[in-house]
Amino acid sequence: MINNIKKLAKNLSLSELRSGMKITAKELVNTKITVQYPEEKTPISPRFRGLHALRRYPNGEERCIACKLCEAVCPANAITIESEARDDGTRRTTQYDIDLFKCIFCGFCEEACPVDAIVETHIFDYAFESRDGSIMTKDRLLKVGDDNEKAISKAKSEDAKYR
Amino acid sequence: MADIKIEIDGQIVNAKAGETLIAVTDREGISVPRFCYHKKLSTSASCRMCLVDIEGVPKPQTSCSTPVSDGMKIYTQNEKAKASQKAVMEFLLINHPLDCPICDQGGECELQDVAVEYGSDVSRFSEGKRVVAASDIGPLIQTDMTRCIHCTRCVRFGSEIAGMMEMGGTGRGEDLKIEPFLTQGITSELSGNMIDVCPVGALTSKPFRYELRSWQMASVDSIARHDLTGSNIYAQTYKGQVKRVVSGDNEAVNETWISDRDRFSYEGLSHKNRLLAPQIKVAGQWKEVEWDVALDFAVKGLNKHVLNNRKAHQLGGLASNTATTEEFYLMQKLLRELGCENLDYRLNVNNLEQAIVLASNIKLEALESVDYAMVIGSNLRLEQPMINHRLRKAQLAGAEICALNVKEFDYNLKISHTTVAPQEIATLLAGVLKSVLEKKAVELPEYLEHISSSELSIELAEKLLNAENSVIVLGEHIVNNAQAASIAQLVTDIAEQVTGSTLNVSMTSNSLGAQYAHFVPTSAGMNANEMLQADMRAFLLLDVYPEYDFHHASSAIEALSKEDVFVVSLNSFNNDLTAEYADVILPMAAMYETSGSHVNINNDIQSFKAVVQAPEEAKPAWKILKVLADLLELPGFHYENSSQISSELAHQPHEHSHDSAIDLTSKDDTVETIWMHSAYHTDVLLRHTAALGASQIGQTHLASMNVATAEALALKSGDVYLGVPIDITDTVADQCVFVSSNQATIGGL
Repeated sequence: MINNIKKLAKNLSLSELRSGMKITAKELVNTKITVQYPEEKTPISPRFRGLHALRRYPNGEERCIACKLCEAVCPANAITIESEARDDGTRRTTQYDIDLFKCIFCGFCEEACPVDAIVETHIFDYAFESRDGSIMTKDRLLKVGDDNEKAISKAKSEDAKYR
Repeated sequence: MADIKIEIDGQIVNAKAGETLIAVTDREGISVPRFCYHKKLSTSASCRMCLVDIEGVPKPQTSCSTPVSDGMKIYTQNEKAKASQKAVMEFLLINHPLDCPICDQGGECELQDVAVEYGSDVSRFSEGKRVVAASDIGPLIQTDMTRCIHCTRCVRFGSEIAGMMEMGGTGRGEDLKIEPFLTQGITSELSGNMIDVCPVGALTSKPFRYELRSWQMASVDSIARHDLTGSNIYAQTYKGQVKRVVSGDNEAVNETWISDRDRFSYEGLSHKNRLLAPQIKVAGQWKEVEWDVALDFAVKGLNKHVLNNRKAHQLGGLASNTATTEEFYLMQKLLRELGCENLDYRLNVNNLEQAIVLASNIKLEALESVDYAMVIGSNLRLEQPMINHRLRKAQLAGAEICALNVKEFDYNLKISHTTVAPQEIATLLAGVLKSVLEKKAVELPEYLEHISSSELSIELAEKLLNAENSVIVLGEHIVNNAQAASIAQLVTDIAEQVTGSTLNVSMTSNSLGAQYAHFVPTSAGMNANEMLQADMRAFLLLDVYPEYDFHHASSAIEALSKEDVFVVSLNSFNNDLTAEYADVILPMAAMYETSGSHVNINNDIQSFKAVVQAPEEAKPAWKILKVLADLLELPGFHYENSSQISSELAHQPHEHSHDSAIDLTSKDDTVETIWMHSAYHTDVLLRHTAALGASQIGQTHLASMNVATAEALALKSGDVYLGVPIDITDTVADQCVFVSSNQATIGGL
């Protein structure tokens, strides 16, 4: 009985409506957090694991030395590497494929890489237009690396102090 | 040695007094890290990694050089031992480049494994590391000497096992370098074992360089078939291809070593010259066809040429000695079911009337304990490396070895050379037999009465009689001797008189398998040479390459190329000559691609599985022969796998005893030519192996003769003899030319 009276009094005083309107009034003057994707994007951690890329040294030489540690550590068996001695005697890949359908974006490849060659960039909004588009070949990976080298090295240097 | 008890980490174990500590821990499965210790090599105690704590000894001791004694208490894991092992590890890593990601040893590296357990995460060494310039030591071994930790296993292997100290340490301390002393690089026929013994990536396989990681390959045990040893090997495969071969362990056969040709021959499998599809010749044009078409064509051709008109005696079967025992057996069964007795594998023999019949009645392991060995007509080191290795061990243990050769070959053991002209060998051995019989006061057979014992033969006879455990080794150079059969019989007789053993290394590969499978003509049939002369109408060939395999190469090509001769040729590699004379070419699996067995000099029948599939359309020869027999409507060919064939073969009666009459009369004064293929060109797979062909042994192309012979042949230095550059040296016997060549026999003989 006494509870019902309390409830009636609360409803009649419109207290919930007022607390709701308080938030509305506060947000009316606060800065907006809605981003206009794709024109705008939310900030991303330097450790974000998106599309893969193969990097080069500043002199244009590819970093990858075909050690195959990424292939060995990959829990999804998404990486396939074939290697040989290049004409100048260095150890290089002849094939470096990542199957993005298999990849689970765990970042182990990046962790395993002794020369920071394979990295995961901040690119996450990509699409394939053909069935075999999911296979990132060496050329495509190097292209991603070339196009995004600035962003990659920035992310790497931001994260360096925690390593 | 007395049995004693010692205590290791609180556990009481039995040991023999005087054993090294590491041998005991290895036997007991207690792990002690080590780099320089190798069970087959001498102790150098140079890496210091195997330090352990021994109670009562103030400082930790290296377990590889410490003999055990009764009541010894050893701690391999206590603080003192661990601390000293860690300290040693830190020292070893000071100059190691840690370039594991690009090192081929990565993943199978002893240093890497031990460093994971004993190494520190952080290096305290901030000074510059030493760098050693790489040197090119040949086409088989890649060096990266910056990675070397100076364990000296390769140096000890060279001096103790290979018998040629080609690697050595120069300089001291920081400047110590392990390098070949000579600029010519490594020439040993066992050099590949250095790759196996190297605990780090300083010595790695050159043909395998940068291709794969050890964890990517599957390892299958197999048998090498290039010589009479049948070394046990592991073939490592990746995506259906043999990528590397490493040695297996079998004390009775190859211990833990293999020869370079066993190790590197796999490279030939992927040669572009492989035969990939069945082909038939229609109106002079080659056409690639399906298997059923080709087999049908073969069967029709055989029916038309020989079988329909009951002319099976005009059919001949020839096989190279590299075939498996099962293939020999199936082929002889097929031919014999057809009523054909003409079959042979002895293609390289000049005169098969004089074929060598000699039993091998000593096992490889027993060879180590002989006290006298006589090697006749063999460059054993290159022709049968593992047999030579056993004899070398015998020599190191004090045995005396003498060689009766046409040339003083470069042996890796202490051997007393006697150069004997090929025409003189039989007489010399007859002299030895006579001296032996005279010393034993046994009545002489008639043919020995006119033989005069020379000083040499008396000396040899004395040595043979004085030896308790002697062996006479008869080699491949005798095969084409005019008196080969007599020589073999004399060897048998001498060995019998002095109660010694004989070892027949006059044939190679799987020749013993061919004998075991009865792949020799009975008296009703023709042998290889008779077939070449006879009026034949059809041939069945098993991996035969006449320009290399036949002694009478040109008459073989002539016989096979005759207009109305139908030739069915099973081959693993393409060959221009085969294309000229054959009517059907059936692609067969090469070594590593077929299952079967190999009979080695111990008479062990060693079976192996197919390691990889044959490329494209090529099929194992036993399957081809089986289907061919089925299509020819022959009974009894219902095999599903090759082991059914070998078990059928095992139930066949096997006996071969044979006495040759000794004939010492025939003796001509013409110059005799002994033509041997270089050790890396003895079979078709080896001939397609680029790395072996590029090595010093594979490059051999030389006709050696002495001054008198050169004058008799009107040759001078710089000339060529039968297309081979000549080398005039006084280490060759009179009246003979010894050719060792990497080229075809054709045009030569």
